[in-house]
Amino acid sequence: MISIYTVSYKNLLRKKTRSLLTVIGIGLSAWVLASLLGFNQGYESALNKDIDNMGFQVLLTAKGCPYEAATLMLKGGTGLRYMKESIVDQVLSNEEVEKITPMLMHAVFDPNKGESGGITAYLGVDPATFPAMKSFLEFKQGKWFSDPEAMEAVLGYEAAELEQREVGDTLLIPEKNAEIRVVGILKRTGTQDDGTIFLPIRTVQRLFEKTGDLTGIGIKVDKNANIAQFEEKLYQLPDVQVVSLAQVKQTILNLVSTAKVMVASIAIVAILIATVGVINTVLMSVFERFQEIGILKSMGAMPLDIFKLIWIETLVLCVLGGGIGIVLALGLSQTTGILIRRLLPYAPTGSLITLNSEIVITTLLTVVLIGLVSGIYPAWRAARVRPLEAIRSEVA
Amino acid sequence: MMIRHAWMPFLFLLLLGVKSVFAAVGCDLNDPDRDVARLFPGSTGYRTSYASIDKKGGEPLLREVEKRLGEPFQGLFETIDVPYTIYEVLNGTQVIGYIHGVNQKGQYGGIQVFLCLDPNGVIRNFYFQKLTSKAAKELRSPEFGKQFIGLSLTDFQDYDVVSGKAAAGSSVSGIQNPVPEAETDFRASMRATKKNLILMDVFVFHPH
Repeated sequence: MISIYTVSYKNLLRKKTRSLLTVIGIGLSAWVLASLLGFNQGYESALNKDIDNMGFQVLLTAKGCPYEAATLMLKGGTGLRYMKESIVDQVLSNEEVEKITPMLMHAVFDPNKGESGGITAYLGVDPATFPAMKSFLEFKQGKWFSDPEAMEAVLGYEAAELEQREVGDTLLIPEKNAEIRVVGILKRTGTQDDGTIFLPIRTVQRLFEKTGDLTGIGIKVDKNANIAQFEEKLYQLPDVQVVSLAQVKQTILNLVSTAKVMVASIAIVAILIATVGVINTVLMSVFERFQEIGILKSMGAMPLDIFKLIWIETLVLCVLGGGIGIVLALGLSQTTGILIRRLLPYAPTGSLITLNSEIVITTLLTVVLIGLVSGIYPAWRAARVRPLEAIRSEVA
Repeated sequence: MMIRHAWMPFLFLLLLGVKSVFAAVGCDLNDPDRDVARLFPGSTGYRTSYASIDKKGGEPLLREVEKRLGEPFQGLFETIDVPYTIYEVLNGTQVIGYIHGVNQKGQYGGIQVFLCLDPNGVIRNFYFQKLTSKAAKELRSPEFGKQFIGLSLTDFQDYDVVSGKAAAGSSVSGIQNPVPEAETDFRASMRATKKNLILMDVFVFHPH
């Protein structure tokens, strides 16, 4: 005996093009919805990963604009101002400090980069403290410099690729005509470290005549410490500013929230259009089968049977559309991530869209729910059809 | 306006497919719009394509390129899967040449040698996009680059990248190193030029 599901399915096949277009509409809506949910989750987790990879939770810099300081931390770049090295001891005297690492970034103009020159930045780090704080960094070749005064460099993978350097090679600092020996090449990390040229901090201070100066101090706070209270203490230090990565994260999330609202609006509009599309498709189908429904009822079909028949048609459309949307979202998540990355003011490294089973189920359930709701009216109209009126009517 | 911008890439994606979005980036021009117009006067536009030895012919092609170069690929970064960007230079719809760059290890850092070739593979322009060298000023001078104009792969075929010697009396033997102390970077530039021409030959002019 033919089931009600088979009848519904076959009914949809009677108008293949219309059913297909409706399924595509639902599919696109589901794609946008799944991508949006995936973005909400992926962006924050990628940002957290970037911040974890910094190795420290608080950065102390000389006074300046906090956004520029954030850029310094997250994208790399040159320090805007310098602070005195003596501040390291003052910071270390706080019991909340677990580890500390001083840094000095310096950029030189290289006239032989591109048509009109370019900037090459060097990050001076303390070989005694920086590697310990960035313990997740792994080497492709070589190791960290051990002497804080050595004319040696460790290159991030992309910096090494650009400079075509390997361990044992010499690197020239253009402005100073100084030769540095490469002692380590890092593996790719997906962070700003990939493009960084690390030098011992004393070497950078000496080469660029910045003895006693720093551009930043990375601070790893004890896990039991109250970070907010500690930050307040740091603000008491003269001419420094505290950039908490929690603040940076919040600032970035605030910036991105505009983009999220925009994408959410698009998703809502897409879902509304799909809903109207489903109602239209199923309602058209009901009107076209006016007489047929009348005959079914005259043969004994109850209003509930007709209601179920039409409702299942809606459900089939939505399940198919939802499935297509999820496949699209899974298959194109990387591409969508690349496109979103171009639109955002700041995008962390790593995947921006994270799709997991929870998101897949949520999307599918949402689409099915929308289908069920939008199927109520057409199904109700069909269930109310009076057999004799329908059979006498001239609707083909 | 912003919504329209947000959707444009999605629409292009649906219409054109996703391949171009994933295209790898190798030795690219820093500012292609400006650089192509500057390096190829008379051009009105360009098309970008990507190629790698790995995708164009794999190991057999690598062996062939190495044999023609006269030296195996070396080091961490000169590998079979390096993606190369080829700029097809247009005047209207007509292809008037190509721009292609390669990375080369120099004595003190990376060297990026871009060649502008006419449709027959003859060098029309020579450009160091990046050159870390103590003799960078002299090597990047227009006089040095002019020595390469008019040469092609045929001229470079007998140039030995290991010894740095070219056949006596050949066009390549006439290329002068402006700074004898920078012999390593001079040879690196010559090797990069020969490699660039070989790659263009196997990718564009005589692909397998």
